Amino acid sequence: MSAGTIRIDGLTRRFGAHVAVKPFRLTLGPGGIIGLLGPNGSGKSTLLRMLLGLVPPDAGRAEVDGVALAGDGVAIRRRTSYLPGELHLYGELSGRAHLAWCLRGRAPAALARAHELAAAFELPLARRVRGYSHGMKRQLLLAAALAPDVRVRVLDEPTEGLDPTRRAQVLELLRADAARGTTLLVSSHHLGEVERATMRQLFLRQGELLDEESARDLYRRARESLRVTWDTAPARDVLERAVSGVPGAELYLAEGRATFFFRSGGGLAALRALLATTGLPEPRAIAYGELSLAEVYRALYGVEGV
Amino acid sequence: MGRLTSFLVLTLAYALVLEAMLVPAILFWPEFSANLDSIRAMARNVPILGQEMIGRIEDEGFPAYVLAQHFFKGANALGTAAAILFAAPAVAGEAHRGTLELLLARPYSRARILLERWGAGALAVTLPVLLTTLSIPPLAERVEELEPYAPYLACALHQALFLLALYSVTFLGSCLASNPNRLALVALFLAVLQFALYMVKTVTHASLFRLCDMEVLMGIAEGRWNVPVVLALAGTVVLALGASLLVFRRRCP
Repeated sequence: MSAGTIRIDGLTRRFGAHVAVKPFRLTLGPGGIIGLLGPNGSGKSTLLRMLLGLVPPDAGRAEVDGVALAGDGVAIRRRTSYLPGELHLYGELSGRAHLAWCLRGRAPAALARAHELAAAFELPLARRVRGYSHGMKRQLLLAAALAPDVRVRVLDEPTEGLDPTRRAQVLELLRADAARGTTLLVSSHHLGEVERATMRQLFLRQGELLDEESARDLYRRARESLRVTWDTAPARDVLERAVSGVPGAELYLAEGRATFFFRSGGGLAALRALLATTGLPEPRAIAYGELSLAEVYRALYGVEGV
Repeated sequence: MGRLTSFLVLTLAYALVLEAMLVPAILFWPEFSANLDSIRAMARNVPILGQEMIGRIEDEGFPAYVLAQHFFKGANALGTAAAILFAAPAVAGEAHRGTLELLLARPYSRARILLERWGAGALAVTLPVLLTTLSIPPLAERVEELEPYAPYLACALHQALFLLALYSVTFLGSCLASNPNRLALVALFLAVLQFALYMVKTVTHASLFRLCDMEVLMGIAEGRWNVPVVLALAGTVVLALGASLLVFRRRCP
């Protein structure tokens, strides 16, 4: 396989009776940002950890940057960098010492680059990590993950917990990295962000990779969605009657919140129809498009807790 | 680095306490030997310690007294606690605080990560015993006893091997567990139980501390190594370390 690619062939992992990742075949890269999406428990983190040898697979094969996943995966970890999704750090270390610890075993230039990134994030490296906020911890680990000169990076929730400015800064760094030919496999919960930053999106649901058609469909639905929230939800039949003139509208109703998805546009027409319908109470909030993956999943699949 | 410093501080503290127990024990020797009759009378009610140990000290004098004080009392009690407290958090501690994933994600093989951890703890557990033993001959001179280094160092090696076996078994437990505090408590309870068994004449043979008691140590000091015991201890170390490598290889963050 060529450098910078990720090839997955039937990787499977069970935890007891639960199948965390079901087998599928996939080739990613070389180069670009690939978004891995799915609700909590969909198998994203397990898949990423399997690729790096952090979780031993029960079956299947994988190749990363031309190296087969074998043994404990050290050959792959030497050629990749990784940002864990969970933020557990050594609080007693200073930020500077923590970066040095994370990058032990890498080329010396990686530590210098990590210091540059930390400076760009305005991280107080002299301070102990236990005094860092959630976002600062994320940025510290990001600096360590983006610093090594590798062809493949695996980043689990790189922007989770960051403020909008930092989030934009991180996405810009990822784009620049991808422009240099690096393959970035990035898990995220945010469709909008993934749409802006990634060239390809993969959707996992209950350990299963949705086929490309389903993924595109889910993505399109999220963009063409309309969510209207009332303090007390109107009856389903009243809402269905109100949008009956809009073709292809699907209604999902829960807890005072109505979410409409459309086959091909129609969001604005539905909104007009709803507002024109007499007898409906005043909505508390209206959102069009840009639904988070959590909301799309909640509406489409009844999956909670994304 | 903060973690390395705290590790070194713990090791140094363990060595200093061992030495702090050894120095007054040796300086107390003249008074002890002068009052041996009274001590023997007092010790009659403590079966194992009272009869075997005092009898040994009466027969062998200062060397038996030092072996009892430094190895049987000092290193067996303090060293066992140190072995458990150094081993228990080695892997389980990382899992407990959630940092195991960061540790495993570095570009090192799991075998290397594990052996580094095991090796650091093994040195921390055994080196203080060996180093403090070096102070026995100079201290002995203060109480007008001329003692060679070799027999004591041989006993220290055996003691270190005994502690290394306890450390390695607890280390294997750490590779399997996710709560270092619970593991340490269970291991300490078992160690105390073993020590209690040693004191009871009818079940003393079932105690692990029989593998490193006065009988064994005096034999080593006289040049008679108990080969089966040494092989058993070395075998335990090798097996526990091998099992740790196997378990750690499959360990998930």
